Amino acid sequence: MDTQEALKSAETLLTDYPSTRPEENRLDVTLAPENLSAVVSNLVAARWGYLIAITGLDQVALGQLEILYHFGAGAAVLTLRIPLPRIPIPSVESICPIIPYANVYERELGEMFGVEFRNSPNTDRLFLPDDWCSDVYPLRKDAVLNEE
Amino acid sequence: MDTTVPQRFVVPIGPQHPALKEPGHFEFTVDGEQVTGASVRLGYAHRGIEKATEGRNWVQNLYLLERICGICSHVHATAYCLGVEKLAGVTAPPRAQAIRLLVAELERIHSHLLWLGVAAHEAGFDTLFMYSWRDRETVMDILEALTGNRVNYSANLLGGVKFDLTPELTDQIYAGLELLEERTHQYVDVVTSDATLLQRTRGVGVTTREQAEELGLVGPTARASGVERDIRAEAPYAAYSDFPVKVVTATAGDLEARFVVRLQELFEAYRLIRAVLEKLPPGDLQARMPRKIKPAETISRVEAPRGELFYFIKSNGTDQPERIKVRTPTLCNLASVCVLAIGSQLADVPMILAGVDPCFSCNDRMVTVYSGDTDHTQWTWKQLRQYGIDYYRR
Amino acid sequence: MNAIQDLLTLMFFPGGLFVLALGMSYEWIDRKLMARVQNRVGPRWFQPYADIAKLLVKEEVIPADSNRLLFIALPILALAGALTAALYVPLAGFDPLYSFKGDLIVTLYLLSLLTVCTGLAGANTTDRFSLVGATRTLTQLFSYEAPFLLAMLGPAVAARSWQINEIIADADGQWLLIVQPVGFVVALIGLLGKLEIAPFNAPEAETEIVAGALTEYSGRGLALFRLGRHVELVVGLTMVAAFYMGGVNGLPLFILKTLLLLLILVGIQSLVARLRIDQTVGLWWRWGVLLVLAQWLALVIWEGVQA
Repeated sequence: MDTQEALKSAETLLTDYPSTRPEENRLDVTLAPENLSAVVSNLVAARWGYLIAITGLDQVALGQLEILYHFGAGAAVLTLRIPLPRIPIPSVESICPIIPYANVYERELGEMFGVEFRNSPNTDRLFLPDDWCSDVYPLRKDAVLNEE
Repeated sequence: MDTTVPQRFVVPIGPQHPALKEPGHFEFTVDGEQVTGASVRLGYAHRGIEKATEGRNWVQNLYLLERICGICSHVHATAYCLGVEKLAGVTAPPRAQAIRLLVAELERIHSHLLWLGVAAHEAGFDTLFMYSWRDRETVMDILEALTGNRVNYSANLLGGVKFDLTPELTDQIYAGLELLEERTHQYVDVVTSDATLLQRTRGVGVTTREQAEELGLVGPTARASGVERDIRAEAPYAAYSDFPVKVVTATAGDLEARFVVRLQELFEAYRLIRAVLEKLPPGDLQARMPRKIKPAETISRVEAPRGELFYFIKSNGTDQPERIKVRTPTLCNLASVCVLAIGSQLADVPMILAGVDPCFSCNDRMVTVYSGDTDHTQWTWKQLRQYGIDYYRR
Repeated sequence: MNAIQDLLTLMFFPGGLFVLALGMSYEWIDRKLMARVQNRVGPRWFQPYADIAKLLVKEEVIPADSNRLLFIALPILALAGALTAALYVPLAGFDPLYSFKGDLIVTLYLLSLLTVCTGLAGANTTDRFSLVGATRTLTQLFSYEAPFLLAMLGPAVAARSWQINEIIADADGQWLLIVQPVGFVVALIGLLGKLEIAPFNAPEAETEIVAGALTEYSGRGLALFRLGRHVELVVGLTMVAAFYMGGVNGLPLFILKTLLLLLILVGIQSLVARLRIDQTVGLWWRWGVLLVLAQWLALVIWEGVQA
């Protein structure tokens, strides 16, 4: 599929939400957390690409923590942006029931940024050591890591 | 023995295990020789690279990110450079882009030959292991002659590449390719006709096309199941639009198909390298890069030997990045091991594991490993030694 | 006087130390040939001696939850079994040191002692790799043992004797492998299974279960097990050469014939991948046993017709 065509079809799938085109092969759509499952289900049902990665962005100045779900179809990349408050621990519905392999990405994000994924089949630690203290999320900007 | 609760017999593979050259931890629950459950735990090679990038400037990060992986170091640097160049609005000159492609394909050859040896070793076929690693030396020598390094080539610079090709180097590459091409034909012959190897690969760890899509597989692992997913062809970067790639796929989805796909990709790599050497565009090697980059974010995807490598880079107007996110192909493929292993023979597990060509260093990136606990006791060498003595005296 | 002579024979030549030295030399030849085939340099001649010497002086770690007595006794028993078996075969071209009616059966069972001990040693330690390894070792024992026994008994049936030197004398320098080719092949491949070398090395497949049944062994125990295996290599080669290749009269002939067999073993080893344990069992019971039994049937009928 042609990149522009792919982005157009994504746009038609997501007309209800505000979207921007930061680069010529990218489409960014901002969603409220409660809409995430429905949107992802739509994308999967329409067989639009595949989930590439889930990125966390800690924006201290804005007091928010953004979760970015990147989907790819050929050269086209669709990013679903979910802004959440940083404090208390933000919570979002797990997309594992729709995309099972998202679990590793969610586990990684959960332990690194302190995000709770509701109804996730597995929230065990993936990368961090077992004795890592439970309230330090290392990739948050304000995480205190005592240098040795 | 308690008969009401079925006993779980767990065979751990890792963190230290001869099947794995790098630390990862898998636990397989077995019933006799049959695997009934599997789980994975990572993080043994954590170095906190993602966090570390936030405290270094753009140029320093190039060297840091190149060291994420010792096998596919060049693709990490390429993905990063392409991303940062996009943010800064700079394009590397065509000659530099072609040299990036050249090194990337040489690296793919070295990585696939390395994998062939490891996979053969997992199958207990040590002769193939020794031969493929001997031939891998050819391409390692070429890389060393080109860049001065066998592992972290450091070929990329922000805005270009570091070295140029000389006629002598070109000759050496041609000669090396000729040898490798001949050897690869032989390897294809071995993996498709050797009876004992086929017993371990044909029909083992079969991933159907549907499963591959469902599990989100990438790279040669996905292509062996008939999923045509290759960033080089789908979203050409560097010079791949000038030197198009023919995507190699197979339909069987078993381990044999993964052998064949990786070996066929070698032929494709040989063809690409020859094409680049013949039509190397003239010109500069480097474009000028600004020191600071205005706030923006970009996505950079390249095809590593193991599959799609994804970089998300966000700048904040200073000479340091706001956030760099790396998603390596192994993470996508590793989850599939746990699914495929269930129901297979224990003896096939290392083969299935090797089948996705896992790279744990790539996988474990982010966080400094020391614990945040303040009361974490530190042991002196003397205490540690005493503990060891007491432990064994029991 | 006689007791001293017996002691010397048992301890030094041609039993005891001589067998051990011979075993280690054959191990070196195996490793060196293997390395050359695989395009490697390979070890120097004293490497097996150095390995064993190093292991013998190293600390032996005994797992806390295993039976200490068994843990220490099993390797000794295994080596003793292999060394005793060496006394009944025409080692290095000499006549067997001891001989009695039925020594063939005793020798064959003494040879199995090593495998049984390995399996028990694995089961004795509660390490998971050892347990899986022990299961595999014993499974493999049950798969190759019957065909191997039958293959070794083939010449005995032809000679109508269970005594090793009588069987060799009866063959009278004839190469039995020509009339009993199946027995020869099965015996040779059975030897691969006995020694747990490729393609039958699933019980110690390092990429799956580290070192199999012997994972927990270190130091002296491991050294003794390895010595046992080296001795068994020599004894096995001697028996196959003596039975199927027209005897081994004199040292030169012994060396020539056993090295020829070793070369074949190395060839097989280097050309194959490892079989899964279920494939091993399938191979032996589907092909090995049937073929040997067919040859036995032919042999018995032939003997009946002659009588």
